[in-house]
Amino acid sequence: MWIPVHIDENRPEPLYHQIESQLRGLILGGQLAEGTLLPSIREFAASLKCSVITVRRVYQDLENEGLLRTRQGTGTFVSRVDPEQRQGHRFERVVEAFEKAVETGLQLQCTPGEMEAILREVMDRQLAQREGDSR
Amino acid sequence: MIDWSAEPRTAAAFSLRQVTIQRQAFTLGPLDLDIPAGYVTAVVGANGSGKSTLFRLLLNMEPYDQGQVELLGKPAADADADVELKRRIGYLAELPHAYENSLTAEEKARFASRWYPSWDWSRYRKLLRSFDAESSDKLRKLSKGMRRKVELACVLAPNPELLLLDEPSSGLDPFAWQTMLAELRRFMEQGDRTIVIASHIPDEVKRLADYILFLHRGRPLGFYEKDALFDSWRTIVLSAQEGASAESDLKRVPGVQGWIRSAPGIYQVETDRADDAEAFLSSQGYQILSKQRMELEEILGCLIRGEEARR
Repeated sequence: MWIPVHIDENRPEPLYHQIESQLRGLILGGQLAEGTLLPSIREFAASLKCSVITVRRVYQDLENEGLLRTRQGTGTFVSRVDPEQRQGHRFERVVEAFEKAVETGLQLQCTPGEMEAILREVMDRQLAQREGDSR
Repeated sequence: MIDWSAEPRTAAAFSLRQVTIQRQAFTLGPLDLDIPAGYVTAVVGANGSGKSTLFRLLLNMEPYDQGQVELLGKPAADADADVELKRRIGYLAELPHAYENSLTAEEKARFASRWYPSWDWSRYRKLLRSFDAESSDKLRKLSKGMRRKVELACVLAPNPELLLLDEPSSGLDPFAWQTMLAELRRFMEQGDRTIVIASHIPDEVKRLADYILFLHRGRPLGFYEKDALFDSWRTIVLSAQEGASAESDLKRVPGVQGWIRSAPGIYQVETDRADDAEAFLSSQGYQILSKQRMELEEILGCLIRGEEARR
């Protein structure tokens, strides 16, 4: 099966971190349902052009977090996720997205005031658009 | 930083200890290597770096002057165990063998099958079909790519423990190349197989390798886990305040491999310790404009420059 994980070569995070946080997101976000069989380590590594060492590490980390389980000889499956964990993850992803935006702002030497103004403007615009769409 | 030493150490497919080959025009080594079993290791280097010689010495085709070689847990130089050992290895030479010119694919396969008790005819035929390389012509009549496909099918048919592939994709068209990558992946799915592949093609290395060994003029320039390599080698572009002593600061950047001034006040630094370099530059008041991964050939270039400077 194909897993929608995208590596951004220009992000500063190490590869395993990018893959791990996206896969965690797909599980906690419910896109990968309980019981889904993940690709083999070699197959997943090939599709991401990374080494099996990286994928093995990701599977192990997520297994330790209780999000995956490996059945000997069968493969690695998505575990059951409790709703509380899922809720917590919703904010995590939003925080991560904001962090990236702020990073860009600082790189382009925006002041906190300017960034707040931009955020308000973007929110207003998108909310107005949604309201328009739903009408 | 990631602590890779925490990874469990696996057994070696082969180990070299202080191996040296002295020829009139060429010296290989001294080589100290442990190539891990169960993984794909790419050997990367320019022409004449010693990739083919490394393969040949493993197969006792290239006498070495010094050192020890252990292959699949056995001493490689043990003449009594030679056939036994080679049955566990598949070797694809860089160039086709002239003595096979007047053989057909079928005849070549029949000859190879006698040496490999594990030879699997149905596997061989499936491979030929997937490469679209079924032909009854003599090998010398085949195109370079077609002949390569036959050789690939023959080297995979006995499902050896260790595959030594010397530039396997030379002559293959893009479709055959994709088929080769898929077949090699399927081979590795078994979990306990090892591939060592000499390659010039960065995309092939990126898609296939777990580890990378760099060679240059017979000397090893380093053995890296592929992702750790690409994570830590970066080109950082930075801007300096007017009056900053950039040129002397840049020499002190952690892991610095080289730097150039690309515009007034703008510098480009190559480093193999991206995180440390970035922290250092920020602490010295430089503004980081971008931080990009380096390509395989750029990293090789840096390693060669470093090696030449040490000579």
